[in-house]
Amino acid sequence: MTAHTDPSDAHSGSPHTDDTHTGDVHDDERLPCGRLLSQVWDDWERGPADTADPHLRTCPHCRRSVRGLDELESAVRDLRDETTDTSAYDTTSLTQRVMDVVRLELRPGRPLSLGEPAEDLWIMESVAARTLRAAAESVSGVRAGSCRLLPLDISDGTGGPVVEVSLALHAPARVPLPELADQVRGRVREAADRELGLAIGAVDIRVTDLIDTTADSQEGETR
Amino acid sequence: MTTGPAPGALTEEIARTVQGVPGVAFLRPGLAGRLRSTLPRAQEGRDRAPTAGVRLSRPGGTERWHVEIHLVALGQVRALDVARAARRSVEEYLLSVFPAEASAHVTVTVTGRV
Repeated sequence: MTAHTDPSDAHSGSPHTDDTHTGDVHDDERLPCGRLLSQVWDDWERGPADTADPHLRTCPHCRRSVRGLDELESAVRDLRDETTDTSAYDTTSLTQRVMDVVRLELRPGRPLSLGEPAEDLWIMESVAARTLRAAAESVSGVRAGSCRLLPLDISDGTGGPVVEVSLALHAPARVPLPELADQVRGRVREAADRELGLAIGAVDIRVTDLIDTTADSQEGETR
Repeated sequence: MTTGPAPGALTEEIARTVQGVPGVAFLRPGLAGRLRSTLPRAQEGRDRAPTAGVRLSRPGGTERWHVEIHLVALGQVRALDVARAARRSVEEYLLSVFPAEASAHVTVTVTGRV
């Protein structure tokens, strides 16, 4: 963009003798009023046309040419605002799902014994952990974090629990934690038995954070 | 040793048997299977069961088959029940093919739930 000259000076003379705007005349459109389209747009960008140059305010050709530019700018502004709004979308769910898949592919964990030890049936730790995390999150307001399944010594072949569970979670604030932990343990045990058939021993729960659920209560209840 | 299907065909039949077990979503695909799924070769392999989740061997030249199954189970079915049913189906199939042989040793691992 060139330095601004007084519009009244630039356009007062004959357009054909105005050397300031004839450099790229072959690529530029000259309006019926004699002014170059590029200069009209340039003037419009510099400030309110109706105050800078009386001609721009009264000339129908100039007004029509900047109207299109005005519409384009409005559209771009709307689009920019819309783009800004999308940054507020919650991508956590999608990210979580993608990371679950990646984690499962790269780190399936160790195999854990299903059923009786002699049966030689197994389930990968990551698969079991995902089920148990989902069970914990079925308790309103609870967000499950790390879930480790620690194998117990089953060499005696007597049956019984094969793993202990270590589960980290974010708990809702203003909820009694011992009762909440018992509820989570119950859901985890139920899921381990009903969905997996995995015999679990102790369920160690670590509350790593408290969440103010006033904003999250609706989401928690719909889980 | 009793004659029976060639090892490749036997593996394929075991895969087909396991995939027919209620609660089995699919056998764990191998890397080749994952890549092949993106290529237009589905027609070519339509009649063949994917066998990446089946490993068949006779360790040490013994008479007993060892079968390892890796499968993905359906989420609404108990994983243990699916694993047991898969093992039973393989044992029964091998018994039908090799009735005079010792029962196979079958290991089943659930590698996913969907």
